[in-house]
Amino acid sequence: MGKMDEFKNQFTELSKLKNEVPFRVPKNYFDDFSARLNVRLEAEKMNIPKPKNRIIQILKPALGLAASFALIFMLVYWPLKSFKPSEVTQNVNSESEITDYEYQSMVEGMDENSFYALLSEPAQKVEISDDDLLNYLSASISDYDIYMGTDY
Amino acid sequence: MDTNDRDLLASLKDKSTRDIAFQLLVSKYQERLYWHIRKIVMNHEDADDVLQNTFVKVWRSIEGFREESSLYTWLYRIATNESLTLINSNKKRNFIPMNDSSEFLMNNLTSDPYFDGDEIQMKLQEAILKLPEKQRIVFNLKYFEEMKYEEMSEILNTSVGALKASFHHAAKKVEDYLKNKD
Repeated sequence: MGKMDEFKNQFTELSKLKNEVPFRVPKNYFDDFSARLNVRLEAEKMNIPKPKNRIIQILKPALGLAASFALIFMLVYWPLKSFKPSEVTQNVNSESEITDYEYQSMVEGMDENSFYALLSEPAQKVEISDDDLLNYLSASISDYDIYMGTDY
Repeated sequence: MDTNDRDLLASLKDKSTRDIAFQLLVSKYQERLYWHIRKIVMNHEDADDVLQNTFVKVWRSIEGFREESSLYTWLYRIATNESLTLINSNKKRNFIPMNDSSEFLMNNLTSDPYFDGDEIQMKLQEAILKLPEKQRIVFNLKYFEEMKYEEMSEILNTSVGALKASFHHAAKKVEDYLKNKD
């Protein structure tokens, strides 16, 4: 039994049908096809490959990745930078400032001898020159007041 | 590869004779490739696009063709891949799931003004469209073009045994569909 007979026996419905393609094409389609294809190929030949574009195409994925990392970095870095410095500044300021309450507590916590020793310590001498004094006065008081003696 | 195709390929690879050789290639293979494509994409406009894309790709790649297969199977391979690429891009454009093209292609078939068959042939085409993509291509190549399995194997990069099994399963499904539809 040949292969064709085997096929016919196994696939009776299929065997009844002609194995022809049931489609047609527009009139003169194959006659015109070559000409239309040539138009397209001429356009292809005109397109000179651009090396720059090619480089960009190759670098594109790497650039995209770098841009993503930069974005993530900025999303994390800027909030941290915005919040951290004032927090640091606040801490520094708070370290340098001693509140009245803290001062009072410190004094109250001292024993008598330490307290009197503190009192008897010579004050730090602050030397103010005549120029410094004049500068201070001229900043606070106008010439008119000085001449007229109306600075108080 | 037959002698004519060998000579044709040699002319294609020679820049001085490429243009004329390419015209000969197109006139020799345009119809066969068209009908192969048409049975995959089920629509004349799409088949025309794919046929042009196929020959453009051949034009671009002819210098790099390593002659590991025959010219004929190489052309068929390009045409098959271009057909499947078009179907996939149409699916994406119409938001159709990638693993389901039968309904989409059925619409192409039923709305095709160039369908020339009768009711039974419409049923046959419907049955073929129900097949998985690769099985459909195998069935078309064997049933309509009576292609040898060895040639099909080069085109689809599948073993002869697998192709025989695929065709047998496809024919069985089509047969059952035709019997049930009566």
